[in-house]
Amino acid sequence: MEYSIETYDITKKFALQKGFAEFLMHPFRKDEILAVEKVNLKIGKGELFGILGPNGAGKTTLIKLLCTLILPTAGTAYVNGYDVAEDSGKVRESIGFITTDERSFYWRLTGRQNLKFFASLHDYYSDTARKRVDELLNTVGLKDRADDKFLSYSTGMKQRMAIARGLLNDPEVVFMDEPTKGLDPRRAQNLRGFVKEHIVKEQGKTVFLSTHHLGEAEQLCDRIAIIDEGEIRVIGSPEELKNALDKPTLEEVFLHYTGKEFEEGGQKPPYSKRRRVMREGRRGGMGGGRIGRIGF
Amino acid sequence: MIYKKAFSFIVRDLILQTSYKFEFVLRFFFMFFSILTFYFVSKLIGGTGEQYLEPYGGDYFSFVLIGIAFSGYLMTALRGFSESIRGEQMMGTLEAMLVTPTNSSTIIAFSTLWSFIFTSFRVLVYLLIGAFLLGVDMSDANLIAAMIILILTIICFSSIGIISASFIMVLKRGDPINMLFMSTSELFGGVLFPIAVLPAWLQNVSHILPITYSLNGMRHALLQGYSLHALAPDITALTVFSVVLVPLGLLTFKYAVKKAKADGTLVQY
Repeated sequence: MEYSIETYDITKKFALQKGFAEFLMHPFRKDEILAVEKVNLKIGKGELFGILGPNGAGKTTLIKLLCTLILPTAGTAYVNGYDVAEDSGKVRESIGFITTDERSFYWRLTGRQNLKFFASLHDYYSDTARKRVDELLNTVGLKDRADDKFLSYSTGMKQRMAIARGLLNDPEVVFMDEPTKGLDPRRAQNLRGFVKEHIVKEQGKTVFLSTHHLGEAEQLCDRIAIIDEGEIRVIGSPEELKNALDKPTLEEVFLHYTGKEFEEGGQKPPYSKRRRVMREGRRGGMGGGRIGRIGF
Repeated sequence: MIYKKAFSFIVRDLILQTSYKFEFVLRFFFMFFSILTFYFVSKLIGGTGEQYLEPYGGDYFSFVLIGIAFSGYLMTALRGFSESIRGEQMMGTLEAMLVTPTNSSTIIAFSTLWSFIFTSFRVLVYLLIGAFLLGVDMSDANLIAAMIILILTIICFSSIGIISASFIMVLKRGDPINMLFMSTSELFGGVLFPIAVLPAWLQNVSHILPITYSLNGMRHALLQGYSLHALAPDITALTVFSVVLVPLGLLTFKYAVKKAKADGTLVQY
């Protein structure tokens, strides 16, 4: 079987920020937190793979490692056959990254101007860029508002812009970091339908999706990995996971493997508490710092 | 196709800049203030310090006009690269750019193009006002030599700016390169007065700064029309600085990106 994504014992540790007193007392001591620990994954072409876990579990860190935004501390990973550390340029040519961070656009440019700019970063220019941007604006239903400034868009429209941008280079693998975050249930449902029907079934792309929503994972994903404290606890299809434990819901499966109640929507703990957890447990991810956006 | 990519960065920044209309107008308006300030200072000074100004034609206003105009390139380079990184980090757009096939050096370099274009426009306005309204004589200017010096100046200053940006990439704040060059260039680089005014031991500092050769050469080329042969010492010095600083800048930046990626702090500010 051909794999789009393969990871071999991929591990990421982050240095902990020291307080001033701690810095003076122990200037050379390096405190680290383990964000991702020895993750091994094999994701086939055209698969819709979900990574499910609580805040700070390591989901965003894993996506950033695979998107070449951060380097692994140990282990290796391949995306479309390219090593994320050695062939990062090749990896980036073949992937799309869809982030929910609406700040990742230029708010004072129009939707079309934003997409044309990002298209140029994928080496699409002039007519080719124009055609591709029009096509995507049409696909995500934003053609009529394309010449309005991004700042005037609703959360749902911003999300659709993020999807259009992530598909600009017609990538083989699409990474989505909590794509329905901040959307109302109807919009979130539409978006899930779009991902499954259009991106995966019609276009045959591989999707690697991180989510906080059990329902979303169950409805969308061919297979799920449950991640907690940087470690993959279990991998399988939603049905396999439930049947293996004879549990009727994914929530119970989650509880079984993590020992934690699942917080739907992923409300994050206050910063001070998270920090303390990291210090005591020496574990934690990158994504916990993101703030949920206001709805429509 | 690289020029098309460069053009898309310029278009992006032009739209962003002009979307803040009031600030854009103000920048034009205040452009005239510093030039007028120095014009009246030169009126006050008159022929004082003529012996120091003699190598540049003897007129203080002509001397300082070139100084404030072209030192703008150093300021743009020092601020432009680091501010573009910081700006993109703060806006949240850096990550979205870094996940594309365009490499980080290109992104940072092209993000400052608009600043250099605006600085060039400002220099042109200064020179035109100086020449046509305030009596600066550039009738003998050697424009080819001035262009060569300008290109070398931009290469040198940009390399320093890229080193400065590398520190920002890793340290986020407190970049020593920016502080060092910002604080020393105006004093030792001959921006507002000839370095001959400085005590001999302080002039040694001037001689290790690229801005000294850049302004010296530019003044001789524009005000006195020196030949390329006569300008060879300044051009050679700027070439040597470029040969050293360009690879140093690129290596430093490459290391900084690698370190920031390893630390996971690429998009933090």
